[in-house]
Amino acid sequence: MQQVGSPASGEKYHFLIRRLHSATGLVPVGIFLCIHLVTNATVLLPGDPGYEFQKSVERIHALGPLLVPVEIIGIFVPLLFHSLLGVQIILTGKSNAQQYRYGSNIRYTLQRTTGFIAFAFILYHVWQVHWFGKPVGGGQFSLHDEAGNPAGAATTAAAIQAAWWIAPIYAIGVVSTVYHLANGIWTSLITWGITIRPKSQKTAGYICAAFGVVLTLIGLGALSGFRTLSIDSEDVHTKNTTHTVSRHVP
Amino acid sequence: MAKQHVVVVGGGLAGLAATMRLAEAGVHVYLISMVPVKRSHSVCAQGGINSVNNYTRQQGDSEWLHFDDTVYGGDFLQHQPLVKEMCDWAPRVIDLLDRLGVTFNRTPEGLRDQRRFGGTMYKRTAFAGATTGQQLIYALDEQVRRWEADGLVEKFEYWDFLGPILDDSGRCRGVVAQDMFSMETRSFAADAVVLATGGCGLVFGRSTMSMICTGGAAGRAYKAGVKYGNGEFVQVHPTAIPGTDKLRLMSESARGEGGRVWVPKKPQDDRDPRSIPANERYYFLEERYPKYGNLVPRDIATREIFDVCVNMGLSVEQDQLCAYLDVTELSPETQKKLDGILEIYEKFQGADPRQVPMKIFPAVHYSMGGLWVDYEKNTTTGGLVLGSQRNQQSNIPGIFVIGEADYQYHGGNRLGANSLLSCIFSGLIVAPSIENMLHSFSAGNAEDQPISLFDGAVKEHEAHADRLIKNQGSENPYQIHKELGDSMTRNVTVVRNNDDIKSTLAKIEELKDRYQNVALSDTGDWTNQNLSFTRALGDMIMMARVIAQGALQRDECRGAHFKPNFLTPPMDADDPAELHKQAQRWCKAFKEKNDRWLKSTIAEFTPDGPKMSYESVDTSLIPPRPRTYGLKGAEIIDEVWREMGAQAKTEQQAGAGTAN
Amino acid sequence: MAKTIPVKIKRQDTPHDGSRWETFDVPYESGMNVTTVLQRIAANPMTAEQQSSTPVAYDACCLEEICGACTMVINGRVRQACSALVDDLLQEQADSIELQPMTKFPVVRDLVVNRQPMFNSLSKVKAWVRVDGYHDMGSGPRVSEATQEEAYPLSRCMTCGCCVEACPQFNDHSPFIGPAAISQAILFNSHPTGAVDREDRLAVLSDAGGIADCGNSQNCVKVCPKEIPLTDSIAKAGRDTTLYKIRQWFGR
Repeated sequence: MQQVGSPASGEKYHFLIRRLHSATGLVPVGIFLCIHLVTNATVLLPGDPGYEFQKSVERIHALGPLLVPVEIIGIFVPLLFHSLLGVQIILTGKSNAQQYRYGSNIRYTLQRTTGFIAFAFILYHVWQVHWFGKPVGGGQFSLHDEAGNPAGAATTAAAIQAAWWIAPIYAIGVVSTVYHLANGIWTSLITWGITIRPKSQKTAGYICAAFGVVLTLIGLGALSGFRTLSIDSEDVHTKNTTHTVSRHVP
Repeated sequence: MAKQHVVVVGGGLAGLAATMRLAEAGVHVYLISMVPVKRSHSVCAQGGINSVNNYTRQQGDSEWLHFDDTVYGGDFLQHQPLVKEMCDWAPRVIDLLDRLGVTFNRTPEGLRDQRRFGGTMYKRTAFAGATTGQQLIYALDEQVRRWEADGLVEKFEYWDFLGPILDDSGRCRGVVAQDMFSMETRSFAADAVVLATGGCGLVFGRSTMSMICTGGAAGRAYKAGVKYGNGEFVQVHPTAIPGTDKLRLMSESARGEGGRVWVPKKPQDDRDPRSIPANERYYFLEERYPKYGNLVPRDIATREIFDVCVNMGLSVEQDQLCAYLDVTELSPETQKKLDGILEIYEKFQGADPRQVPMKIFPAVHYSMGGLWVDYEKNTTTGGLVLGSQRNQQSNIPGIFVIGEADYQYHGGNRLGANSLLSCIFSGLIVAPSIENMLHSFSAGNAEDQPISLFDGAVKEHEAHADRLIKNQGSENPYQIHKELGDSMTRNVTVVRNNDDIKSTLAKIEELKDRYQNVALSDTGDWTNQNLSFTRALGDMIMMARVIAQGALQRDECRGAHFKPNFLTPPMDADDPAELHKQAQRWCKAFKEKNDRWLKSTIAEFTPDGPKMSYESVDTSLIPPRPRTYGLKGAEIIDEVWREMGAQAKTEQQAGAGTAN
Repeated sequence: MAKTIPVKIKRQDTPHDGSRWETFDVPYESGMNVTTVLQRIAANPMTAEQQSSTPVAYDACCLEEICGACTMVINGRVRQACSALVDDLLQEQADSIELQPMTKFPVVRDLVVNRQPMFNSLSKVKAWVRVDGYHDMGSGPRVSEATQEEAYPLSRCMTCGCCVEACPQFNDHSPFIGPAAISQAILFNSHPTGAVDREDRLAVLSDAGGIADCGNSQNCVKVCPKEIPLTDSIAKAGRDTTLYKIRQWFGR
């Protein structure tokens, strides 16, 4: 027989851990996602192609030697915590959206599906841009390319996405991640007891949906921005090639 | 010395009230129920629970008037000390429920709101929406769960009570029950057994009662020797909605909140009821009973609806007897208080009763009769000696009966919203009686009795089940039940005629024989519901006979028992002097009728059928009087009755004077 | 010849046996509901293939959707058999009716399941008002109309199990206590006297299997036959447990 509600030993911090899961999704990870996508979207700003983006990236890199610890403590650890615990949480549920096709139930299932997708995508993305990207489908992101281009960050970002099959992966990854965040904000408002009545939950739903749509546009816009940066050299993998950046009209 | 235990059979309002009160006193209770106690039939009670309250007091109400309304409503067929004690306690019972967290409706000031119910002029009924029974039983269920967590109560849910265990001296020493899942039969040694097993509506096939209200448990106690009182008094509720599996109650609270009963004056008028103008509607209750209107007692409302639909041919529908119960004119706020029942109508009938009048017809609803219980009268107060071991104890020592299962409190007709009160009250007062009995035990505890006593009883019941399972017959138990219900409903409900009752008795005999030939379609030994039902069917046939036999022998009209052939003829004279004379004759006949029939029917089991006797009723506090409820044209009866009473008093005083 | 309805029923003889499907052709009656269907099968347990079978075991009591007994999965959706009208079901899913036991509780037999875990949960959250005793101690606390109107819908919970059946987070590999018990905890916390056990209830709700295991699918509130605002209770529980835990971490 099922043991309903019987706490397993060693689950003393269950509540704290779950609340941290919710909090980490919002504060470091969620906020980081917003900054990340907005920063990316600066590639779309008028002026010299990639210039504004370069400036944004440089501002971030101004942290200098602190950058790596900030990345690790502020992003990677919370992200990993949120993801791994998320997987464990997903495994405690048994989705039944086929049987009970209510909007909220479909969103519940999507939250779990997008969580998985986002996790996989982020792993790939980090792997690709940080350390191991070079051999597989792109380049390594860096602040400056070795040729010392004025918009080296943009060119490396564009180079990462140069292969044709990267675009759909990134699109799906970005949409899933944004959905996961937007819907996560909506559920966290309930979890933390801020929206209680169906009416306030509905209002919050509209706001979260609008937020999600805007962030999706920003994210996808950035993607298309990088896609439309044309790099005059074919060989971006070898960092000794000189290339210039221009915008081509799709 | 072995530990003492009490078995409570039945976890409705009465059983739970007794259990929590016993547990509070530190008594260990086995609570046995056919269903999880939270699902007991008490959940179906809708309208509310009566007591005099601060609001009605200001209008001149008192405990005494509640008592008076109850015995007048019951046509004086109840022992008055019990009723008086119950009405005296009623305000305290409701206070207790309030403390337990019952979500009673509130006034803007935060006090309990009240509504009016049938058979009274006062707003005495506290209520929680239109699901008061559910709310009350949940409160008691929660308390019992608390005692269960403390280890004082052990629940045996999905267990079927098979019978009491009596020792050689005739004292009850426990019960035998069967696990309805595993089909294991076992005994429970107990120093007192409380039967709180409800009514027996299923004897009538379809009724407003739940599927568990077979009367099986009461039948098993009756068979073991507990007397059965007033079996023929069965309440037929005026307003229920028909269904293929059961008849669903539309609470009296609909009328209490202002709902009106009517039929179109034109037979089977096929217009939309909302478009029928007021002067073409027959508000027959209001016209016939201007004082009480739609809130006459249930037996009267039922007979009037029956009369209008059957005798006058004014049924709303041609092929289905029904009248309108109309709450469409009530304000949305008032309708909201009735949501619980309006939802039921909407769900099962598919029409919104807030917009369209409901179609209703009477249905069997409550057993006023039941297992016989004793009481000890307090000669000073006229009420009960609380804590007396006689209170609620049956004629078998050690068996107590409470709630709908007993024959007390409601006499010939129960007033609406008095059943929740009587159930909880009897449950609360039985506990101190049992406590006192347990303390005074000299005969040794049940657990000290020889093991053979218990094993023997278990074997007997196992053998009975085995016989049923192995029976190689051709009769279908569900078919027998259907025929029983049809015959009982046709002949032993609203209008009773001796010839019809006799034909039903013959039918019962036939069914009893056919029952011997019954075959189970499930002979397994795991969760065999077929067996449980068929066993209860045997008890239903037996109880049907008690009911029908009682009805046949009682040649009068009283409360819910209505025999037109024995109706005191109504008055018809136009000349006032002649009318007065007629009224005098009527009152004389009424007095004679009471001398002959103001008695409880007592049935005792014999293998050849019930042995009937009659027990006089304690009417020492409120003398019986004609029950007219201000019927138009019957005012003269009340007047003459008062004259006769005054005259008798004068004569008595004069007589006393001469004697001195 | 009267119309018959094929009724497909998932049957299981004992908790240890496997399950099988049986179909019964039940004569149509106007206004009939699923309990009537089961009554007719009990009276004549003959399958569509004309094989004699046994009556289908099922729970039923009040038949007016107030006791919660006859809950089962009907045409894929959990609900009470008594208020499931055949006409409506045939509109939902033409031509046949499919009955199976609830899936979140151990099957006893056929459509009968053991919902004892739900009652145990009520004990766990102390779903009662701890009064001093049952003697006459005057009336209860005053309760405003607004409070009563909040409490009454919650106290209509009949422990039928629809909410947990439809809850994706309530299953055999999760300790989640389920919406019904959470809502009862909130109900008793809102009662002036019931609030004496408030902290104990919040302790249970903030433990493993408590409120943190809710996944906000909100199926509970949609399948609840009594339209209990379960998600309101859940959100309140989220708020109350957070504050409770913060108070605890700060030593009070």
